Amino acid sequence: MLNGSICFQQRVTQILYKDVKNAAELRRKAMEGNINGALVNPTMLVGPFQVLVAANKAVHLQTTGKMKTKTLNAEIIFNLSPTNNISEAFKRFGISDGDHSILVVVVHKSDEVQFVSDISAMVDGQQLPVDDVSSLSDFNKIKKLFKITPQEEKCGPLLDAVVCRMAIKDVL
Amino acid sequence: MAGQTTLSRFVGKADLVKQGAEGRVYRAQFLGKPTIVKERFRKRYRHPVLDEKLTHRRTVQEVRSILRCRRAGISAPVVYFVDYTSHCIFMEEIAGSSTVRDHIVSTQQANSCKELELQQLAERIGRILAKMHDEDVIHGDLTTSNMLLRCSSQDTESDLVLIDFGLSYISSLPEDKGVDLYVLEKAFLSSHPNTNVLFEKLLQSYTKSSKKSPAVIKKLDEVRLRGRKRSMVG
Ligand SMILES: Nc1ncnc2c1ncn2[C@@H]1O[C@H](COP(=O)(O)OP(=O)(O)OP(=O)(O)O)[C@@H](O)[C@H]1O
Repeated sequence: MLNGSICFQQRVTQILYKDVKNAAELRRKAMEGNINGALVNPTMLVGPFQVLVAANKAVHLQTTGKMKTKTLNAEIIFNLSPTNNISEAFKRFGISDGDHSILVVVVHKSDEVQFVSDISAMVDGQQLPVDDVSSLSDFNKIKKLFKITPQEEKCGPLLDAVVCRMAIKDVL
Repeated sequence: MAGQTTLSRFVGKADLVKQGAEGRVYRAQFLGKPTIVKERFRKRYRHPVLDEKLTHRRTVQEVRSILRCRRAGISAPVVYFVDYTSHCIFMEEIAGSSTVRDHIVSTQQANSCKELELQQLAERIGRILAKMHDEDVIHGDLTTSNMLLRCSSQDTESDLVLIDFGLSYISSLPEDKGVDLYVLEKAFLSSHPNTNVLFEKLLQSYTKSSKKSPAVIKKLDEVRLRGRKRSMVG
């Protein structure tokens, strides 16, 4: 579990699971609005910072009434994607029924903690430290999807290249 | 201040780095990272709708140029977040860096024989600017203060990072690239006395690095001539 602060004094908690056996059930619950969090495919992430960037942007756009999707959790998933195509964002960064690893992302106030036990009760899987997310990353897929050039990788870490595209995608 | 209240939604404490006519630059901790926040504010004398459009456009141009440079392998700060409502850009702070300007000044003062090192730096700048112009990015405000030297741990050669793309735009015209170099030449020679030879090295390496350089250098010569004529008249 990892907890970070974003805009408007909100917090983001990330909980990473592997060997998940009930992805289909979780996905259905999320679609019905019965999970208070975004279910993210961790193989498309380079690191937890990416999620903070996506969540911060989602809360900001929610506050200014400029979200591109209907809910905050959907907006977080949309913001992780390098393109402005919503269904593609869900396909790549959301979870699929057959997935075995899941990152649960929850935006909450600093004094809210109840959701952690709620989510733990729902997920049939094994919890991992969130910093281990990079052990699950599919780097080739990420580089291809984000169209990272070999020259750009010389400028700095892959995470930087990914985050920069996420931040700027609306004006590309 | 309006800027401070907007900023306080995103960061705890922000230190003002620079107060300019067009905006402010702050240093802060954002999402756990050392961050530079660049805020552009509205100009009261401009029509509000026009002002909003112009300010928005400059913010967009700045972040687009940064990404275009990075894609081409030219270091520029990572953009973390853009607030198009308050016109703030949140970007990576190039920590522990010094400007090329300060580096040249202190190297010159240290009267040790660092001439070669400065030449290598000038050549590196020439190569980077050639690459940038080959991507059709016109920086718009090239000075030695808008280039930072990052001290990288693995390499003895510090990384050169371009900043302040607030006046940048995309153009393939040799004229625009020539003017970009002319702006740098003026700034370079006035910030650093007796550096004609050094700047010449920069231009030589620019020329060698870009296939498109002959047309650009030709325009640079024309702009210099125009500049000289203008100063003779004025
Ligand atoms: N990414 C960064 N990392 C470290 N220092 C920075 C960074 N960006 C800016 N600075 C510092 O802040 C100063 C001002 O930044 P910058 O030149 O981008 O703003 P500006 O001159 O106000 O912009 P503009 O010319 O568009 O109005 C720089 O000279 C530099 O010292």
